[in-house]
Amino acid sequence: MAENPDIRVEVTTIPYPEYQQRLLTAVQGGNAPDVATLDQIWVAAFAEANAVVDLTDLAAQAGIGRAQFFGGAWDSAVFNGRLWGIPFNVDVWQFSFYNRALFEAAGVDPASIATFGGLRAAAERLTGDGRFGVGLFAHRGEDTVVVANSFIFSNGGEVLDAEGKCALNRPPAVEAMRYLQDLARFAPAGILNASSGDMRELFLNGTLAIEFWPALEQPTLLKSNLDWDFVNGTAPEGRTPVGTFGGWNLAIFDSSPHREAAWKFVRFMVREDVNGDVVDLIPANLKAAEAFLAANRRGPERILQHLANAHPRPLSPRYLELSDLQVRLYQDIFSGADVQAAADAACRDIDRLR
Amino acid sequence: MPRNDTLFHWLMLAPALAILGVMLYWPMLGTVIESFHDSSFIRPQPRFVGFEVYERVFGGRDFPHIVRNSVVWTVAVVLLQNLLGLLAALLLNRGLPGQGMLRAIVLLPWVLPGVVAAIVWRFMYDPQLGLINSLLLRVGVLEQTAAWLADSSTAMAAAIFAAVWKGFPFSALIYLAALQSVEREQIEAATIDGAGPVRRLVDVTLPAIRGVIVVNIVLTTILTFNYFDMIWVLTRGGPQSATHIFPTKIYEVGFGQFRFGEAATYGVVSILVLAVLVAFYLLATRSTAARRRTA
Amino acid sequence: MRPSVPERAALAGLQLLLAAFVLLPFFWMVSVSLKPATEPFAIPARLWPEAPTLDNYVTAFRPEFRTYFVNSVIVSGATVAITVTLGLLAAYSFTRARLVLITALMSLVVLAQMFPHAAIIIPIYRMMRGAGLLNTYAALIIAYVSVTLPVAIWLLRGFLGKMPVALEEAATIDGAGRLRVFFEIVVPLARPGIIATAVYVLIVTWQEFLFALSFTATREMRTLPVGLNDFVGQYGIRYGELMASSVMVSVPVIAVFFLLQRYFVAGLTAGAVKG
Repeated sequence: MAENPDIRVEVTTIPYPEYQQRLLTAVQGGNAPDVATLDQIWVAAFAEANAVVDLTDLAAQAGIGRAQFFGGAWDSAVFNGRLWGIPFNVDVWQFSFYNRALFEAAGVDPASIATFGGLRAAAERLTGDGRFGVGLFAHRGEDTVVVANSFIFSNGGEVLDAEGKCALNRPPAVEAMRYLQDLARFAPAGILNASSGDMRELFLNGTLAIEFWPALEQPTLLKSNLDWDFVNGTAPEGRTPVGTFGGWNLAIFDSSPHREAAWKFVRFMVREDVNGDVVDLIPANLKAAEAFLAANRRGPERILQHLANAHPRPLSPRYLELSDLQVRLYQDIFSGADVQAAADAACRDIDRLR
Repeated sequence: MPRNDTLFHWLMLAPALAILGVMLYWPMLGTVIESFHDSSFIRPQPRFVGFEVYERVFGGRDFPHIVRNSVVWTVAVVLLQNLLGLLAALLLNRGLPGQGMLRAIVLLPWVLPGVVAAIVWRFMYDPQLGLINSLLLRVGVLEQTAAWLADSSTAMAAAIFAAVWKGFPFSALIYLAALQSVEREQIEAATIDGAGPVRRLVDVTLPAIRGVIVVNIVLTTILTFNYFDMIWVLTRGGPQSATHIFPTKIYEVGFGQFRFGEAATYGVVSILVLAVLVAFYLLATRSTAARRRTA
Repeated sequence: MRPSVPERAALAGLQLLLAAFVLLPFFWMVSVSLKPATEPFAIPARLWPEAPTLDNYVTAFRPEFRTYFVNSVIVSGATVAITVTLGLLAAYSFTRARLVLITALMSLVVLAQMFPHAAIIIPIYRMMRGAGLLNTYAALIIAYVSVTLPVAIWLLRGFLGKMPVALEEAATIDGAGRLRVFFEIVVPLARPGIIATAVYVLIVTWQEFLFALSFTATREMRTLPVGLNDFVGQYGIRYGELMASSVMVSVPVIAVFFLLQRYFVAGLTAGAVKG
């Protein structure tokens, strides 16, 4: 940082699958870093544990506010009315990436897959001859949750209601899950242990007509020989698809002896002219995002629109347990369970978490 | 024993015991203490609650599955790994052509890093892209793709199979070494007495390597029970809880859900279950040994 | 006596079956490592890529890989040396001492092997931090010595227990000091057991992942198993590069193993027989 020669930044990058464990070990071991990126779904737990600094006043003083960021990203850093992180990068689950050649061969209009009915009809026509219409996955991972959420959100449902009570067993959510259960007929076998990564391989080799991924998938597809494009998720006729927000926030650890320098660093990282150079997802800073998408992604306006509509996941210090119960519910559903009964059972467990 | 002898032995034992005490027993003591406290990441001040967390763990919906899965996993992997290891050792001890090369090849899985082995197997089991389905379809064993790891009824078996592949070379190696120490004369004498190959195996070879078998089984039981990488990479304990075992549950509860107190409790319970399992083996072998002596 | 022709054919068939069982995943691993990044996976799986290339190996052999490799060699080498030394000292007394507590102590050694690592890693991390050892080779070496010692003691105890005490007694009567007896008589005789234990410890530490991830912070300190995860992303795996790296990680251990195989087999026999 040329402007701050007195601040020396040591960066540790850790591969994702172990990041959570590595960071927790450090924090529990009394050796937290000064600054770290926190997955949106961890913020509430870190705030509840008093492991990170309340940034509400600092942000207000520095003129950093919700308007400069994607609203959903900003909200994911607010817990109990206080701000615990500054949005760093974002993405949204999911865009429906499609294989244009397969669509043409089957005579399906790509625009049709933006509606529930259209996606189902397209998936049916695209399935057969060793090919599959749509890639669904329900392994024990967060990608399972965000995709199912987006179908529930798009149908007007919620995971938790305004009072924090489980809403997964209410009609809009149940209807969306029934829809997914039916859609599974056109997905490759093995949904219960499949991940978005597995579906990517099938999409790349031309076996799968539609895969669900965030915009992060674009660099991979650009490198391939596929003729592809995407639509913004799927919703019932006449509704706008609502995606699930994903992304990371920068937080300062309570144990940091260099809070001031850390705060300078955080502000630097989310600056309009910097944010786009330091992320792999999409910059959380709105202006930086516009420039980043124009330079690096196909369909930037569509992506921006989908980001603007996206909903965050529930903010709860026990989110990770909630997420696990959701995965179990979706696994039940993809195993053919009665949706209402499975959702009722899941809601009993989820409400017990409060 | 003279006093300086005692002192000498204590000095010899001291470094190892000190390291085990400080690096394993001291942390484990902390874990045992933590297991009686209600603590998690979001509640950093632990509160003593006696057996409350244990009650929660025992009452958990997963708990019976985890105990059953752990026992099935451990017993199946250990038995199959030792059986296959023994058969491979018998085969490799026949002085057949190409033997040296095959002995070397057989050891490869053991050498491969555990995480890599697991990733390779997850890929092999892939319903669409995997080699296993494509071979089975080609030879006509399967009529349509099977999702081995996504089906509660086959996931554990698939994980066991992969673990046996990774682990059997170690057993084979030990058995091979043991077979080489069985006296030739004993076998020849039995042959002259008219014993066939099966009789020779049961009457001469197996009793001669009995000690090795017991040690091998106890050691592989301990290693398998705590074998985390394979299942974690293959299924993360799923689908549902079909392959959840203690180590995957401890990792998931502690690091996946920030609940360290409960993870500690699972850790303590897991040691108890493993100890029971090992004690069972030892008792079983001791009683057969006793019978043998009286016979 | 020579086995009959059908019997020999059957045995040869079994050998082939065994080799196929062992080698299939390796074959697949190598096949994937030679697949160009642009060639998608075929259905049904193709045994060999259409246009094999070494590109993945070129990518995988990054400067970081060399750093990880050196780190792994240092950490594994030191662990093997220390574990075997301490294990040998302890194992000797476990077989020779007539101390009242000896059986109980040995049970504690075996019990220590049963602790699940995920449950004790945070307390160990705290100790490492307290000692200022985080992100050093020492942290990993100490942790690895601790977790490999119990099995090492077990294996060496079996081996030493089988060695005749008569030689040592004779030497003691000659007036040699106990330590001299240990180093000049016991250690040379125990060499196969020592090598066997060393290989066991090497294979375990070369693969270890959890401690290596937790106790190192910078890329400069990472070991190979952690480095392999550079190719495992949040939502996808770069199979080609990962498999190429895996092949490169396995080759050194396989080489060491083949060089020492003879001793290893002999050592484990003796070690295991006693139990």
